[in-house]
Amino acid sequence: MWEILVTSLKHGVVTAKPAARLPADLAPAPRHADGEIELLGQALRAEIRRVFRSSMKLRHVDCGSCNGCESELQALLNPFYDLQRFGIDFVASPRHADALVVTGPPALHLEEALRLTDEATPRPRLIVAVGDCACSGGFCAGSFATRRGVHEVVPVDVRIPGCPPRPEEITRGLLKALRG
Amino acid sequence: MNEQTNIELFPLERTLRGLRERFADAVIDADRNSMREHQVVVPAARLREVAAAVHREWGGALITAFALDEPEHGRIRLHYLFSMAPDDAVITLIAAIPADDPRFPSVTSEVQAAHWLEREMQDMIGLVAEDHPDPRPLVAHDGWPRGCHPLRRDFTPPAGMSWPPRFAFTPVEGEGVFEIPVGPIHAGIIEPGHFRFATVGESILKLDVRLGWKYRALETLARGEPVARALEIAERACGLCAFSHALAFSGAVEEAAGVLAPPRARALRSLAGELERIYNHCSDLSGILLDVAYAVGAAEGQRLKEVVQQVCDALFGHRFLRGLCVPGGVTRDLDDAQQHWLRAVLAPVRGDVEALVHAATSNAAVMDRLAEAGALGQEPARDLGVVGPAARACGIARDVRRIHPYAFYRDLDFQVPVRNRGDVLARFSVKADETYESLNIIDQMLLHLPGGLLMEEGVALPAGRSGLGLVESPRGLLSHWIRAGEGGTIDEWRMRSASHANWPAVAIAVLDNIVPDFPLINKSFNLCYACVDR
Repeated sequence: MWEILVTSLKHGVVTAKPAARLPADLAPAPRHADGEIELLGQALRAEIRRVFRSSMKLRHVDCGSCNGCESELQALLNPFYDLQRFGIDFVASPRHADALVVTGPPALHLEEALRLTDEATPRPRLIVAVGDCACSGGFCAGSFATRRGVHEVVPVDVRIPGCPPRPEEITRGLLKALRG
Repeated sequence: MNEQTNIELFPLERTLRGLRERFADAVIDADRNSMREHQVVVPAARLREVAAAVHREWGGALITAFALDEPEHGRIRLHYLFSMAPDDAVITLIAAIPADDPRFPSVTSEVQAAHWLEREMQDMIGLVAEDHPDPRPLVAHDGWPRGCHPLRRDFTPPAGMSWPPRFAFTPVEGEGVFEIPVGPIHAGIIEPGHFRFATVGESILKLDVRLGWKYRALETLARGEPVARALEIAERACGLCAFSHALAFSGAVEEAAGVLAPPRARALRSLAGELERIYNHCSDLSGILLDVAYAVGAAEGQRLKEVVQQVCDALFGHRFLRGLCVPGGVTRDLDDAQQHWLRAVLAPVRGDVEALVHAATSNAAVMDRLAEAGALGQEPARDLGVVGPAARACGIARDVRRIHPYAFYRDLDFQVPVRNRGDVLARFSVKADETYESLNIIDQMLLHLPGGLLMEEGVALPAGRSGLGLVESPRGLLSHWIRAGEGGTIDEWRMRSASHANWPAVAIAVLDNIVPDFPLINKSFNLCYACVDR
């Protein structure tokens, strides 16, 4: 208990603050320009937004990603990004989910799993494609063992590109879908 | 000196002498492909015998094994690569089999580490490994059409493949035995794999691990591509070990081209590699604590991971260090101000990891779960060819940075932590200790960063040359092998990650543990699924 208190007091509240703060005279290394977050699909109607905006439960389905997107999705739950403060959280079952977060091209071996997961998700539901692979097949577009994007298997409502997209970009995509 | 001592000393010399003396009639050809790699061609009929001698008598540890389709010669050539640690040498056994009768004697009964590799050769090239103890398909899930072998040269993708997930799991029968299937889609934010437990009560009798769900045919995709595109593919085989993959791939290309990256580039490669190791190990410590419900410790581990990943982003433009390492050198530099900042940001990390480990190991509830769970013995670990922190937790003191030094490691001073119990606590402790060593290495690099170029210009890749890159990724030994094609392209690429070597050990480590401890044991290895399936 004592260690817990000491650790918490030492670090303070870290949410929404940079973990590694650069000094003013040091510019960060240039990044690749990420793609635009796209909102598609009929599901993003005002009514659905109103229903989900204060509490949206996500079920992650990995359909063959390199685990970079997984790592960034897990990071959403770390003290810095703290996705739960927006009322958004991950759940263990598609039956509890409002939205499916899909990563991976999808690989052909997992297509059926993705379809079954989608069938098990109660409507209304959103489908969010996270990462270049999920958006368009990414770097493995052209492989015979993968598709060119999740939309080839299930209808996609939000596309968040990146390889992988940073946690703040994923958060921005989710919030944009909810709030417009 | 007695025989036992001889085995530890000069394994390369013993092997070459043994091949000359005992297998003179079996050796068709012997050649030195590079400073490190000695190739020995034997007839397929003698392959098992010679491999047994290399592994059991002369101390060779299997790095990887693969088959290359050579239709222009009407044959398929099998390659078995052995690390002759502690010598910085690799012995490659090569055997040719006719393409129209692709059967070969499986070496798995003598070299257990070849188990999954030979099953993959069956799937990917259409070989038959005779007398293999478990010849079930590994990657080819049901629904693969007959004759679909993606690593054959004449492979054309079949139309309309269907993929019903039915697989012949080995049944375990007996009174009160239950079968528990888990996956491929798991409850958390995690990669897909299928685990089939046979349990009595809560105790695990047997675990069948079925992977291959994330098969993306990357080795087929990279064939014939220019080096830059093949590097892009290699770097995305895995996200968490992306830099290690880029480094091993670059090492393979550099070996084939006969070039060495300049010293400053090699130093920055070591520095970046250690940053990758630190954020992976912090993530692993966090995962282990999460699975024993020590939420504060888990959050602290995630916080440390985030600090290091933001450092990677700020200094090198990518949280996973993609785009940094290329054949010939590195693409970014660190100036004095950046080095100063790096030192300042990392300064508290060591104390924070120590505090985290102390908090966890002083907590009786945590220690009750970690100690003795998932114990892997040294002998099965050695037989299976387990690598990395998982092996070092069983007392196998091997680290590629020591045995086959690359980047700047030959000139660095660092420890290789080892534990003996092989349980979850041992793997936890090894990773914590390695984190401290990684911080030491970065400190040394920042003090002694050599000047000079970042890139060896004009890396020319002669067609037909092959090269091997070996790296100690955060999970252990990673190998990338390439053969160059015409015009600076990659003709063939074979990759084997540490996770590929270690997965069979998970099925051993869980035996006689309870099912609720499975996530903890699995997390203590924290193996990738993506770079296994490829």
